[in-house]
Amino acid sequence: MHLFLMIGLVAFSILAVLSRDLLRSAISLAVASVFLALIFFRMNAVYAGVFEVSVVAGLITVLFITAIALTRSEGGVTESKRHLFIFPLFFAALAVIDLLVMKKLLGRIPAMVSSESGTFGQVLWNQRTFDLVGQIGVIFAGVLAVLALFRPGRSHTGDAPLAGGQSDAKGDHHE
Amino acid sequence: MIFLFIIVPLLLASLLPLLGKISKRFLPDLLASATMLFLLVLSVLWAKPLIASGGVIQQAFWFGAPLNIRLLLDGFSLFMLFTISLISFAVTLYSINYMEHYGAKANYYALLLVMIAGMNGLVLCSDLFNIYLFLEVAAVASYALVAFGQGPDELEASFKYLMLSAVASAFILLSIAIIFGLTGGVSFGTVAQGLTTLNIKYVVGFCSALFLAGFGLKAAIVPFHSWLPDAHPSAPAPISAMLSGVLIKVSGVYAMMRVFLNVFGMTPALTTVLTVLGVVSIFVGALAALGQNDIKRMLAYSSISQIGYVVLGFGIGTPLGIIGGLFHLFNHALFKSLLFLNAGAVEQSTGTRSLDKMGGLAKRMPLTAATSAVGSLAIAGIPPLNGFWSKLLIIIALVQAKMYVLAVLAVLGSVVTLWYYLVLQHQAFFGKLNENWQAVREAPFWMSAATVLLALLCIVTGLVFPFVIHSWLQPAADVLGKGITVAMNFIGF
Repeated sequence: MHLFLMIGLVAFSILAVLSRDLLRSAISLAVASVFLALIFFRMNAVYAGVFEVSVVAGLITVLFITAIALTRSEGGVTESKRHLFIFPLFFAALAVIDLLVMKKLLGRIPAMVSSESGTFGQVLWNQRTFDLVGQIGVIFAGVLAVLALFRPGRSHTGDAPLAGGQSDAKGDHHE
Repeated sequence: MIFLFIIVPLLLASLLPLLGKISKRFLPDLLASATMLFLLVLSVLWAKPLIASGGVIQQAFWFGAPLNIRLLLDGFSLFMLFTISLISFAVTLYSINYMEHYGAKANYYALLLVMIAGMNGLVLCSDLFNIYLFLEVAAVASYALVAFGQGPDELEASFKYLMLSAVASAFILLSIAIIFGLTGGVSFGTVAQGLTTLNIKYVVGFCSALFLAGFGLKAAIVPFHSWLPDAHPSAPAPISAMLSGVLIKVSGVYAMMRVFLNVFGMTPALTTVLTVLGVVSIFVGALAALGQNDIKRMLAYSSISQIGYVVLGFGIGTPLGIIGGLFHLFNHALFKSLLFLNAGAVEQSTGTRSLDKMGGLAKRMPLTAATSAVGSLAIAGIPPLNGFWSKLLIIIALVQAKMYVLAVLAVLGSVVTLWYYLVLQHQAFFGKLNENWQAVREAPFWMSAATVLLALLCIVTGLVFPFVIHSWLQPAADVLGKGITVAMNFIGF
């Protein structure tokens, strides 16, 4: 059962990366996330599973699909097909490394004797309080980033925001 | 009180978007600069005496009730806090004039303050997972700041930075997960103790490789550097100064050295890898900088090269090497911020970053030209400026450690640095004034004030370097020199 879930997770993750259609890619990611959540449930990490299903498979997929629906009409960009060859190559290399290293590595991991035990809420509020400050910081940075990047104003059609002279160095530094 | 370093910038960042509605410029300018000055004074006058007898762990309180937040302040973290506060102060002063034409100043300062809170949190935490978390706080803010100009180049550079940074985070998180599985904890003390009792050097080696790739990407050491030459030039000049001057050092070098020296313990293999990567970075960065025509891109490649010196110094692992690495880290923060701020002043006055099109600007921008000359000579290692002493210390440490080839290569790298900075000075500021720039004027007051402050610090740090080493670098080097005993001492707190 575990192996089946792992294969499902990897297969749908690959599909999400390789798919040419954004919508299909987003849905594949959601399915991969459901597989991951099932693995979490089976490993007794109930909270991780719940978050995985509700946030990643649910909320984020909705956001992705909404965004795709809003931008679909444009399209027409031709992408390089190199990733179709390079990705499987890297994947195979990683799988080999995984087979050689991980089994030995996981065998070394002793039974969990965590200093941080207790219910989920206790761990989060009482033991990992500083993490909460960090999480607030990350969410904050995200909100401010959206406010800053989607602000009205500066138009970049002419790319000449600066006083005097012509802005010409920006375009010529991409090899 | 130590918690103030994190909570003050975070609180102000939460208020700024609202205050920006009341006052678009004055209040955000004033509050951001005042906050940075406050943190700078706090680090010098209050935090410095606190560590007189070694590191302290301080518990945070919320309205009298103790919180389970323990912050580690020792010589190394204080040194980083001071560096962050100093450069941030100069950058906020500079932003008063420079960010005028970008608009949304309150949002800009809010993001900058979140980035600073993230960096302060990273240097004050005593736990691997907190390192990851605060790394992300600083990183998410920095992605937005790189793209702040909203232009296609900025967005592309930010996206590239975001993608590679996500890979770095994945490496770091995987390594932390393995360590947690092995030791049952993530605090420095538990991990250090767990790894010594378990005696599993191959697994530690694997985790070290993951950390090296993750933090190496953040620090932009070769071969993990490809994002930096896009991201740093695309950002607004003060952000380029923050990223090159401080962020790559905090989220890359600081985190890597804290983990390798104080938690894992340095091994001969790590010494070899770090010294080799350091020297390779020095040359790849310097040779790539030599071929650049875009002034900010040249400075970005130069950052890769100079980070190479810092990593080389730490990699030697001897007390003198560590002091050299720390000193070069501080010096690079000063002169690279100065040079990026100057490049921003030139770009704002002329509208170009292309060195070909500049020329003779010293006649129109004497202050910018003079401070840029100080920065260039300092980074090239010309005595008696600060860069000379830090490079000298690293080279002496290499000779003492009998790494003669690396010492010669470090000297050669410095020669190449001098070469491309002379090219920069010559093409931008000296020679005949390009007729397009007849109407160009010197940078506004606050921009000049920030660059003059940093240039003076480059000179003063060079002149009083024994004092700097004694009062700021030695306590930091002592912490790193003590190895994993530092982490072990904090078990049970």
